[in-house]
Amino acid sequence: MFSETFFYGLILLGLVWTGLGALALIVLLTRDWIKGTLW
Amino acid sequence: MLATSINQETGYVIVIALGLLWVALGLYWGRKAKDSEGFMLAGRNVGVSLGAATAMATWVTSNTMMVAPLLALKMGVWGMLAYACASFGLMLFAPLSMRIKKLLPDGFTSGDFFRHRYGRIGWSLFLVITLVYSITWLVTMAIAGGKLLETLGDIPYLQGMTLIMVVCVLYTIFGGLYAVIGTDFIQSLIILIGVVAIGVMVLFHLDMGETYEHVSTYQPSLLKVIMPVALLAFFNNMLFGFGEVFHNNVWWSRAYAMRDKVAPKAFFLSGILWFPIPIAAGFIALAAGPLGVNVTDPSKVGPDVAEHVLSQAGMGMAGGVLILVVLFCSIASSIDSLLAATSDLLVKDVYCGLFKKELNDRTFRKVATVAILLVAVVAWFLAISGLDLDVVLFSAGGLVASLIWPVIAGLFWKGCNRTLVLTGIVLGVIVGYYFYFEVETYTGALAGGAVSMLFTVLSYFIKPTPFPEPKPASPRVS
Repeated sequence: MFSETFFYGLILLGLVWTGLGALALIVLLTRDWIKGTLW
Repeated sequence: MLATSINQETGYVIVIALGLLWVALGLYWGRKAKDSEGFMLAGRNVGVSLGAATAMATWVTSNTMMVAPLLALKMGVWGMLAYACASFGLMLFAPLSMRIKKLLPDGFTSGDFFRHRYGRIGWSLFLVITLVYSITWLVTMAIAGGKLLETLGDIPYLQGMTLIMVVCVLYTIFGGLYAVIGTDFIQSLIILIGVVAIGVMVLFHLDMGETYEHVSTYQPSLLKVIMPVALLAFFNNMLFGFGEVFHNNVWWSRAYAMRDKVAPKAFFLSGILWFPIPIAAGFIALAAGPLGVNVTDPSKVGPDVAEHVLSQAGMGMAGGVLILVVLFCSIASSIDSLLAATSDLLVKDVYCGLFKKELNDRTFRKVATVAILLVAVVAWFLAISGLDLDVVLFSAGGLVASLIWPVIAGLFWKGCNRTLVLTGIVLGVIVGYYFYFEVETYTGALAGGAVSMLFTVLSYFIKPTPFPEPKPASPRVS
């Protein structure tokens, strides 16, 4: 069986990773905007 | 109707307000689309942030949000991971996108590639497969949108589905790929933030120790490490994902739209961004038991648990609004991409290619508009027909997996035996459907992909002929 630590860790990882994804997109958009390389 | 369901008036207000926002942005960004390259490919100059976001958002559909919890409910940890591995298709498209831009720097559609590498017969076969698949996908999104508004907002199915389609059609017509990509970025942020918000609230209401205890006592199979059917689903989904991404013009048009060095980075990043979403959205299904949520319809376990938790958190109607907005964005971000990409195929490959019509930038917009409307109308009629198109979509694993190896061979090899490759595609499709319906649903893509792979490998050794040198990739708009 998957352990409780793995179970909880996977869920936390999923949520944190998803949140960081949103942050990454905002940072990248800002960078592209400043450099004039959006589209 | 769910307890956090919003009343009909609020439902209409939200959908119309969001719709007006997307349409206004479509009009604004559409001013950049001055010619066919602008309209279809956003000027071939899209940067990494917009590129990654649009690829990720398009791949997040209502299936991601509704089926991920369903798979978690049926197959537990492996169910979530099986769905998450569909992201590998996006990641692996990164090197393919590099090669696509090198091979077809002036390309417009995935049809350009098939015409060039596999001739008219291969091109025609490809067009049949991809148009069937794309329209089916589009229809399932339209149906999902209608059902969502009916469940959450008490808006009758026909009106809700029509409203979502009209909004997406309008901003796609006004703004082309600029509008699609721009709105995708906003929608991707809403999706990511919304999934995290709902997931965190569920987590706050759960005692993880008790949850694990409950699942291991009453549903121990969901925590099994060795779970043959889940492992089968894992690899089948992976191949299904490869097939969908490698062949579909939704992704090829984005590859063409991005700057040369941006495309591989953006696709790889989009896969990285997408991977955790089925886990973040799916785990809440495992909270159903511990929270005492009575799951009457497994396909709605995600929203059921979400609304239960949001009600407990005292959010009431705001909770329903949050779920509605996130799901609406996930649906719209796929519908607009499918409308744009499928109409591009109709214009470039069917109208200009097969019917050999010439277009200039003035007449192009009219034809493109008609193509978008035609795709939308066909999808609308199918969405009200009552046909069970989920089966058509989910059984198409073999259909799309059969194209994986021909795409890879065409991109990276110097030549092959075309007849064998095309035979492999046809047989792969047949075998894929047979395995899906007669053996086990999680074998269609594996079987179809395996047959196609065998024939493609044989084509390398048995009387291969060199591919012709690349020419201007498609009938150009003069």
